[in-house]
Amino acid sequence: MISSLRELHSSSCSLIRAKFLETLDGCSAIAQRTQLIDDLALRLWREFISEDAEGPSRFVLVATGGYGRSMLFPSSDVDLLFLHEGGWSDKESKDKIRRLSQEMWDLKLRLSPQTRAISECDRLDPNNLEFTISLLDARYLAGDRDLFARLRRSLIPRLVMREYQLIVEKLAEVTQARHGKFGNTIFHLEPNIKESPGGLRDYNIVHWLLLLSGIEKMRTSPDQQALISPAFREQFTEALNYLISVRCFLHYRHGRDDNTLTWEAQAEAASRGVGVEKESDISTEDWMRIYFRHARSIQRVAIQLLSEIPASRSSLYREFQNWRSRLSNSNFSVVNGFILLQQTGGAKDPELLLSMFQFMAEHGLRLGIATEQRLEQAGASLAGKFPKGGAFWKHFRELLIAPHAADALRAMHFLGLLNLFLPELAAIDSLVIRDYYHRFTVDEHSFRAIENLHALRRPSSEWEERFGEIFGELEQPELLLMALLLHDVGKGLPGDDHVKGSLEASWNCLTRLELSQADRDTVYFLIANHLEISATLRKDIFDHNTVEAFAEKVGTPERLKMLALLTYADIKSVNPEALSPWKAENIWQLYIAASNQLNRSVDQHTVHAGVKDENVTRLNLIAPALEKKVKQFLEGLPERYLKTHSPEEVLSHVEMANSLYHDPIQLNLRKGRHWLELTLVTPDRPALFAKVAGVLSTWGMNIIKANAFCNDAGVIVDTFFFTDRFRTLELNVHECDRFKRNVSETLAGDVDVERLVSQRLRNERQLPAKVKINTKIDFDNDASPHSTVVQVIAQDRPGLLHKMSSVFAHAECNIEIALIETEGQMAIDVFYLRTAGAKLDGPKQEEVRAHLSEQLSIT
Amino acid sequence: MTKVEAVIQTSRLDAVKTALQDIGVEGMTVIEVRGHGRQKGHTEFYRGREYTVDLLPKIKMEMVLPDDLVEKAVQAIAGAARTGKIGDGKIFLSRIDDAIRIRNDERGETAL
Repeated sequence: MISSLRELHSSSCSLIRAKFLETLDGCSAIAQRTQLIDDLALRLWREFISEDAEGPSRFVLVATGGYGRSMLFPSSDVDLLFLHEGGWSDKESKDKIRRLSQEMWDLKLRLSPQTRAISECDRLDPNNLEFTISLLDARYLAGDRDLFARLRRSLIPRLVMREYQLIVEKLAEVTQARHGKFGNTIFHLEPNIKESPGGLRDYNIVHWLLLLSGIEKMRTSPDQQALISPAFREQFTEALNYLISVRCFLHYRHGRDDNTLTWEAQAEAASRGVGVEKESDISTEDWMRIYFRHARSIQRVAIQLLSEIPASRSSLYREFQNWRSRLSNSNFSVVNGFILLQQTGGAKDPELLLSMFQFMAEHGLRLGIATEQRLEQAGASLAGKFPKGGAFWKHFRELLIAPHAADALRAMHFLGLLNLFLPELAAIDSLVIRDYYHRFTVDEHSFRAIENLHALRRPSSEWEERFGEIFGELEQPELLLMALLLHDVGKGLPGDDHVKGSLEASWNCLTRLELSQADRDTVYFLIANHLEISATLRKDIFDHNTVEAFAEKVGTPERLKMLALLTYADIKSVNPEALSPWKAENIWQLYIAASNQLNRSVDQHTVHAGVKDENVTRLNLIAPALEKKVKQFLEGLPERYLKTHSPEEVLSHVEMANSLYHDPIQLNLRKGRHWLELTLVTPDRPALFAKVAGVLSTWGMNIIKANAFCNDAGVIVDTFFFTDRFRTLELNVHECDRFKRNVSETLAGDVDVERLVSQRLRNERQLPAKVKINTKIDFDNDASPHSTVVQVIAQDRPGLLHKMSSVFAHAECNIEIALIETEGQMAIDVFYLRTAGAKLDGPKQEEVRAHLSEQLSIT
Repeated sequence: MTKVEAVIQTSRLDAVKTALQDIGVEGMTVIEVRGHGRQKGHTEFYRGREYTVDLLPKIKMEMVLPDDLVEKAVQAIAGAARTGKIGDGKIFLSRIDDAIRIRNDERGETAL
């Protein structure tokens, strides 16, 4: 008999395979294989167990798992349950089961048999959830129908109703772990179409959750299709049929249960048109886009159902859910972490939608399925209605800097909205590139990079803490995030050099969004150099020449921070292992070496006539009439000055310098995005920096940053960035003039600033420091060719900058350059000092150190 | 057969790889490692904090070669990795008893 069964099995399998390869109809192939195995199982039952297909009593053969669902793929396991009601554990009975199983193995079926008494099925073993879940798909094959009916109609519903909470929680737990293994994304370059998020396993999860919920509510197996929202039923079914065909194709192609959609398999599936209309001629990239669309349809139903699982109601969880629900407002309601639009017309209101995505980015919420559906329906009508140019950038930059920006971007991208605003991203939409280093599609890689950057707010390793610190210091993080979003767009464009493609696309995009020239330059610089740190790491990063060349290329500390962070996030998003501790440490070492180089070599490169400089050329183009005056003003200023000021700012300084013969103290006070900004252009004089710092202290201003430069003509350009702690200038606009007058009078020597500062500090209540910073004073006579570089790290406090600069003034040291920064409660100040036209010698350094230590000691 | 292990400067990897390929060495394993010999470490100060790198980043290359290729490989590695500065690295040689190609059970030099 076995030889005839073997022949039947072999010829039938060949027929099913041939038919599939002809029609590519996966549903029909799995139904036929199920039918074939049903027939074989029944014949063997009759041969070894009972001639009567419905006998013997109290023993039944049950198909479970995928086989029970009648979804037997070409190389799938065949799950069989020998179910009895006692009396089948003797040697003879066991022998019958063994022989039937043996015959099936001999047919080369991958059989997974289990023998259980019905009483054993009534218990949920938390360590063997699979068995209970496999019973949900139990299907009668042969034997005692009454026993099967008891299992199906009585025992399973009873078990589910009793253990519902535990079963669904366990299911959610294993699904989360599985999704985590795949980086919680469907967008893999070579996805596993069974196990990846959005794969057939997620379909199973949907199927089981609907079944369980139906049994719990109605005590009977429900019509599952009816439980899926009608809007998604068609998409869901279409996606399922597609995945079934692709899995059949993979099983036949690989000759085993291998569900990896490799690059080669993708190309073959696309050329054969697996899962798509046969007539269509489709590229591999587009075929994969169809895969991702279907995977997303499955994934979103799975996630929605998983989120609806009632949690085991810990008070903490309830509190969290309540807190999230309290986020609801007149436009959106928040239910189980999903956003629902309150008003029916909301999906057609572009401003409302943009604020919804911003809301999502702020609070880490997802869009509810109904919201997604309304947005999908509104999709086409929304085109052209959204704010454009600068108005859009204003919204978008707020979204980018919000902690969950990546989730909001993904949602916008999936709904096709992101491409409406940034059509450049269409080139990398679900784009698979053949690259052994990368694991995700190009768009997902970019979103992941943004996510990794925001994750630095909650550091979990030493590197994350270090990089997190510099992320927190960025003045315009949105520019870095925008660069990350666009840095690989070129991968979807023609040409071998993706950086070039990304730059071309980005320039158009940034111009359209009306970013300022300086901001465009920054994003452009980051994209152009996004591989620069990786290239430098291949050199000797402890060699001074390497560091110097790299620092020179980067130009400013702010750009250095951004480039280091971009490299960190970019590499980390390639695959989970790409950013090894070795690499992270090397990026950090290069960063700090270059940062020190930038701060200690400011006066090495100065602007001189005849030296070609891109920034000077640009200035001359903007204001050709001022060319001579610009040249005079810039002569002798450090190149750093040019690199850290926009052409507009430089021209304004030139005009201030030109007005010095009317008024020798030129001041400009303006409100920046984060701080107030006071710029002073005036001929240099003793204690000038100390006096301005003193005036700011007397007004209660907190100096965050400052820089001071001097040209060859002895004209200084000092800029102080400060916060108005008591909102004096904000609440009393007329005080701005008095404030400026006070600075002028102090510089003219009409005001005793020392006395005012002492008075102010005496009256001010000193709050205890939250973090104690030890004072460090470091002199370096080698870093600069002309000056002694002094770096002071100290506890930030009112009047600190005034105290330090007064010490220098009393010691007759001239501040050539000052670079002042504040990080939390730490002041990090670098001064380039000269005394009597030379560097400070040893005794002078000791004198200054002693006075500084005395002044900075906390009393 | 001889196992050649070379610890070299990160910056010399491409040059050493090319030199080995030029003399017919194709298979090699490259590992990112940290360590130091006489070169010792390096200290950088950043914002008042001291960052000491007592173990410097290096690249370790490993390959098993037929004996007639070993000397050429040593010359190729040394020639391409040498900068003349301290920290250029080291090459270690050790005897290998046998090699097995897992795919088809070939043994000895044919498995290399």
